[in-house]
Order: sequence, then structure tokens, then C-alpha cells
Amino acid sequence: MGTLMRNAYTAVLARGEWWEGSVQTEPYEAAWAAQALFFVRVLQTDGTTALDATTIQARVQISPDGMHWADEGSVMQVPAQTDGLAFTRVSEFGGWLRLAVEVPAGTRLQVVATLALKA
Amino acid sequence: MTLHAAAHPTHVDPRLSRYDPLARVIYFDDFDCGLSGWTTLVGNYENSIDTMTRSYARHMQPMLSQITHWDSGTHGAFDGTYALKIATRAVPGERNTAIKRVTFRKASKIRVETYFAFKPEANELKLSDLDVRSVGLLFDLQDGQQRVMPHLRYLNALDGQRMNRWQFKQHSSPFRAIGSRSETVTHDHLSPNDWEDIPDAGQNLCYNEIPTKINWHYLRFDFDLATMRWLEFQCNDRTFACPGVNSITIAAMPNLACMLNLVFFCESDTAKRSFFYLDSVLLSGEF
Repeated sequence: MGTLMRNAYTAVLARGEWWEGSVQTEPYEAAWAAQALFFVRVLQTDGTTALDATTIQARVQISPDGMHWADEGSVMQVPAQTDGLAFTRVSEFGGWLRLAVEVPAGTRLQVVATLALKA
Repeated sequence: MTLHAAAHPTHVDPRLSRYDPLARVIYFDDFDCGLSGWTTLVGNYENSIDTMTRSYARHMQPMLSQITHWDSGTHGAFDGTYALKIATRAVPGERNTAIKRVTFRKASKIRVETYFAFKPEANELKLSDLDVRSVGLLFDLQDGQQRVMPHLRYLNALDGQRMNRWQFKQHSSPFRAIGSRSETVTHDHLSPNDWEDIPDAGQNLCYNEIPTKINWHYLRFDFDLATMRWLEFQCNDRTFACPGVNSITIAAMPNLACMLNLVFFCESDTAKRSFFYLDSVLLSGEF
């Protein structure tokens, strides 16, 4: 990797996708990065009356091969409301990262999820 | 057409010795050094992201992969550790892209070269050689009169059938207006439709024997910005002349003067992720 400046890259994992039920973002390879920061921004919600002022958990997952996944331990609480914003930081994650989310039945969220990486 | 490496004094970098660039290197991106301006191709939108064509909205960011497999560990790139990886979702017909956007300073002959490999996700213990539908590249170009989009893909398989041939596209889907201000339009030029065989361009590549063994291939594509015509392309030991091969051509658009965009793309034929790896990319011009 570059010798003078630390590499950094932000990947958009979900671009206006509607999350409902059990959701996992696509695997993202980031072995070059030493630190990662997940963001989830809620564009809008649907059917969330019962969830007003509540949060939805998004768990960071890691993998040895991009196919088998384990919870890393970091969890973010995503506000189930328009303009809700949550983040969580991880490091020492090996080669792959993704988010796993369980959205309660009867509701869904439209989100932008990003992964900010730095060497 | 190709020059020996010693012909150019700029070839003191040994990484260039496996390339045949034209006189001017426009960019040489070795993905051991980072993403180097490669990002995903998103669709156009206005006011709401929901106006984006769905196939574009599903494109995802390219990544840097050391090509690690469950059975054999890290494969690595052609040189160094990392390759650019374009991964589809695990959906039949799904595609993904990586794009780099620059402009040209002279309408010259241009040449793109890369070392590439493709594989499906290794989640089955079998050959899996028909899971990747295609890999390819396209330029999105504009001069004073027209927007020109040469598309080239290696069609590996289609609907489970082995194809192993190079194709081009000279027609595209109709444009669709986005939003209400008449400022933005879109067309899905990467749709599955309108691909045509390049004459006499069948070619077998080195897939190898299981999904976790990869072999790098050389690809070179030459195009003339002055005439907006294909010149030829080469993959490994085969060179293909393109006298009757054309590009998608439309009238020039307001905001795209001298555009020189390069896109690499990958399509999956089955419900399995397809991976397109690029060790490095070199774009050069004759100016």
C-alpha cells in the first residue's frame, strides 16, 4: 500500500435499499484496513408506528472466507426514524466485514449504509 | 502496433515490462497501492434516490481483495497482495461494475490493458465453471458530435450453456427521463439485451480445475478517439481485428465534453456471487 499517506476508502453497502426482516449486507473485503466505521442513515420508515423512538440492532459480522459469518461483538442501535443515524467502530477484523440486521415484522427502513475504512 | 518495452525510456519501472503501453501513460493503477479512483457506477437520479434505475441502484462498491479462499488461504494478485475485485450479488443475471472517470486532452488512439481473472464464489465443491456469465469493459466517451460507448465482454456462459466467446454491443435501451426538470436522463446500456458475437472471436480461457485456483489473463483493447472506431483487442495469445464492430452511439449530451470513462463489469449466470479480479489497469494514449 502507499508509503506516505494512509489509504482510506468509503464503500456504500446499501444505497436506498429497504431493509425488512433478516438482512445482511453484501460481504466487503477490507484486509488492507486497520480500522472500520459503519454508518447507517435512515432515509424513511414504513409501518413503524409501534417503533417510534425505538431502535433496531445492527450487528457487525466477520468471516474467515467471505461465506461463513460470526458476530464480531460490535452492535449499533439504529434509530427507527427518518434521519436516524448510527455508527459503530471495529478493528482487528481480518479480511471481511458485513452488517446483520433483524428488522421487526411489520416495519421496514430505507437506509444508506456505509463503511469507512482506513489503513 | 505493439511496441517492445525497450522502445520507451519510461519503461524503467519493471511493473510495466508486462504491458505494451502507447507513448503516453494516462494512468497506471496497481491495486497494491489503493483503489486509485475506481468506484462504483451509480445511476442518475433527481430529488429522490428512488428515481434511479434499479439495476444501477444495486451496483456495489469495488474492493481490494487478496483473493483468500477457504481451502488454500491467500492467493494474492499477479504481483503484490491486492487486486481490484468486482463482485455481483448471488442472483442470476446480477451484475456489478467499477468505473474510473477522466477526460481526454487529445482525441488520439487509446489503449487499455489489464491482467484479469474471474471466478464464482467457492461455496460448492465442484468445478463451477459456468456460474460466471461474463466479464467485460466499456468506454463511455464523448467528442463534439457524439457520445460513443464501445462495449466488450467475454461471454463465459449463458443460461447454463458454455459460450466462451467475445461479444460487443451497438444498440442500447431507450433513454428514460428522470425527474421533472428535464435535466437528467438514463439508459441501461448494460442490460442483458443487444449483445452480438464478434465474428470469429471464440476463445477458451484458463479457468483451471476448482473455483479456488485462478490464473491471470492479459487483455488489451485499442480504440481511436479521433474516428471513434474500434481498432483491435487481444486476450492472451489471440488478437482480434474488429473491422465491422461498432459502438453504441448517440448524440452528444450537454455536460460530457471530452469524457473518458472506463468501466469494468461482471455478470453472474447463477444464484452465486461472481468475482472479477483486476491486478492492475493501464490506460495509455498516442500523443
